[in-house]
Amino acid sequence: MTTAIEITDLRKSFGGVPAVDGVSLTVQAGTITGYLGPNGAGKTTTLRCLLGLVAPDSGTCLVNGRRYADLPKPITEVGAVLEATGFHPSRSARDHLAIMCAAAGLPRARVDEALGEVGLAHAANKRVGGFSLGMRQRLALAGALLGRPKILILDEPANGLDPAGIEWLRGFLRHWAHELGAAVLVSSHVLAEVEQTVDNAIIIAGGRLVRHGSIADLTRGEQQIRIRALGDFRPVLEGAGARVTEGPDGVLRVKGMSIDEVGRLALNSRVVLTEISEERYDLHRVFLDLTDARTEGAHS
Amino acid sequence: MTGLVKAELRKFFSTRLWWIMLLVVLAWTGLGLSLSIALAGMEGQPARDTVEFQQMAWIYGGGTSSFTMILGIVMMTSEYRHRTFNSTFLVTPVRGRVIVAKLVTGLLVGLLFGAAVMTLTAAAVIPATLTAGGEFSPFANEIPRMTAGVVAAITLYVLLGIGLGALIRNQVGAIMTGIVWTFLLETIVVSVPGLQEFGKWTPGGVTTALYDTGADFGFGAAEVLPMGTAVALLTGYALLFSLIASFTTVRRDLV
Repeated sequence: MTTAIEITDLRKSFGGVPAVDGVSLTVQAGTITGYLGPNGAGKTTTLRCLLGLVAPDSGTCLVNGRRYADLPKPITEVGAVLEATGFHPSRSARDHLAIMCAAAGLPRARVDEALGEVGLAHAANKRVGGFSLGMRQRLALAGALLGRPKILILDEPANGLDPAGIEWLRGFLRHWAHELGAAVLVSSHVLAEVEQTVDNAIIIAGGRLVRHGSIADLTRGEQQIRIRALGDFRPVLEGAGARVTEGPDGVLRVKGMSIDEVGRLALNSRVVLTEISEERYDLHRVFLDLTDARTEGAHS
Repeated sequence: MTGLVKAELRKFFSTRLWWIMLLVVLAWTGLGLSLSIALAGMEGQPARDTVEFQQMAWIYGGGTSSFTMILGIVMMTSEYRHRTFNSTFLVTPVRGRVIVAKLVTGLLVGLLFGAAVMTLTAAAVIPATLTAGGEFSPFANEIPRMTAGVVAAITLYVLLGIGLGALIRNQVGAIMTGIVWTFLLETIVVSVPGLQEFGKWTPGGVTTALYDTGADFGFGAAEVLPMGTAVALLTGYALLFSLIASFTTVRRDLV
C-alpha cells in the first residue's frame, strides 16, 4: 500500500486558541479513513491545512509526498469537498465546473461527465442559488471528481443529504476507494454516517487525536452491563471490584464483571434489578466516551 | 496563464454582474450625452456645430470610470463574499497567479466597456454635430487622444478596483472606500488651495490628465500631467495595490 496522505505533528492556532494541536495521521491508497470528532474538534482546520488553504503554524502536510501547493496540477491528484457554500448563487452548476476545468487545463467534456457521475445532469444549467443543500454537496463532489484524482478529501460531505443521498454517498466512496484504488479521507461529526463505510477511523477532540485505528480495533472494546436497580447497588458493585459509571437517568454501566456475576451479586445482596442487559460496546460508544472525556478534560 | 484568464473571463460572463454594470455605464453615458445635446447652444453652452461641443461631449463617458472601479471591486470581492476562492485556490494554489489573471481579465473587460461607451458616444455626438451643420472628422480636434483617454480611464479603473478589492476583501467596505475616495477625498484635494498641487498626482487628478485637452470650459485650463505619465501612474497605482494585497490580504488563511 502506498501512503497518499501524511500529516506530521500539525499545529494551528487562531488568535492564540489552538485548533489543531499536534495531529499526525496517514491515509493509504485504496482505503477509506473516517476523520471523526464533535463540532469544533479541529477536523476542518486539519483538512484546510492539508489543502493549502490555511497555513499551519508548524508540522507538515503532504499529499503524494508533496505539499499541496507544490503539486503541478493539484486537482488531478487531489479532489476536495469543503463546505457546500463555495458557489456564486447566480452561476450555473455547469459554469462553476467549466471555470475549474478552464483554470486547470482539463477538457470541457469532464464537466458533463462529472455532473452525470454525481446525478446532477438534470440541473446543469440551473443557478446554484436555487439548489438544495444536498444538490450543493453533489456539485461540490462533482468539482472534486473533475480531475479524476486518486485522493479524495471530504469535509462533512453527508451534511444536508437525505437518507437516500447518504446511502448513495457510501456506495460512491466505496467504489472510489475499493475499486478505483483512491485514498479517501472523510470527516464527520455524525458517526452513524460513516461507520459502515470506513476502513479506518481517526478520532479527534479538542484539536488532538484520541484514537487511531481500524474499525475492528476500535470496536474491540470491553463489554459492559447496563443495569437499573432499586436501592443503592453501586457501592456493592464497586466493593466487589467492578468499575461503575452512573448515567443521569440512574442507569448504571458496569465494567469488569460478567452479566452472570452482576446478577448473582444482586441476588446475594438482596437488591432488586429492574433492568439488566449486555451492551454492545460499539464504535458509537467509543466515539462518545472518547470525545466526552476529551472535552471534559479540556474544560477542567 | 491562458487557462486562468479563460477561467476568469468565464467567471465574469457567467453571472449577472457584467450586463447589469454595462447597462449602468451605458445609461449614465447616454443620459449625460442626451442632456448635453439638448442643452447645446443654450446660455453658456457651446452649440452643436462647434468643436467645443464635440470635445465636451466626447469625454463624457470618462465619468463612468467610478462604475468600472466598482466593477473591478466586485470581480475581486465576490470571491470572498461567496467563498468561491476555496475552489479557485484549490485549482491554483499559487494565489499570486490568480491575481495576475484577474488583472489581465480586468484589462480585457475594461477595453470592452470602453469600446461600448465610445461606440455609444460616437453614435450620439456625430449625428448631433452633422445635423447641426457642423463638421466631424475622427482624426481631428483631439478626437483620437480623447478616445484613447476615456478608454484608458475606464480600463484602468477596473484594475484599480481589482487592487482595492484585493486589499479590502469585504465587498461593502471596499465599495464604500472607493466611493468615499473618488467622490469625497478627490473633491477635497481638488478644491482646497493648499492641496491642489498635490491633486494632480492622485488617481482622480491623473484621470483628468487622461482625456483633458486643455480646453477651457470656463474654469480655466486644468494643470495636468502628460497623458503617458498619467497612464503609467494609474497603472502603477493598480499594480501597487494588487502587489501589496498579494503579500498581505490574499495570503491570509481561508477558514
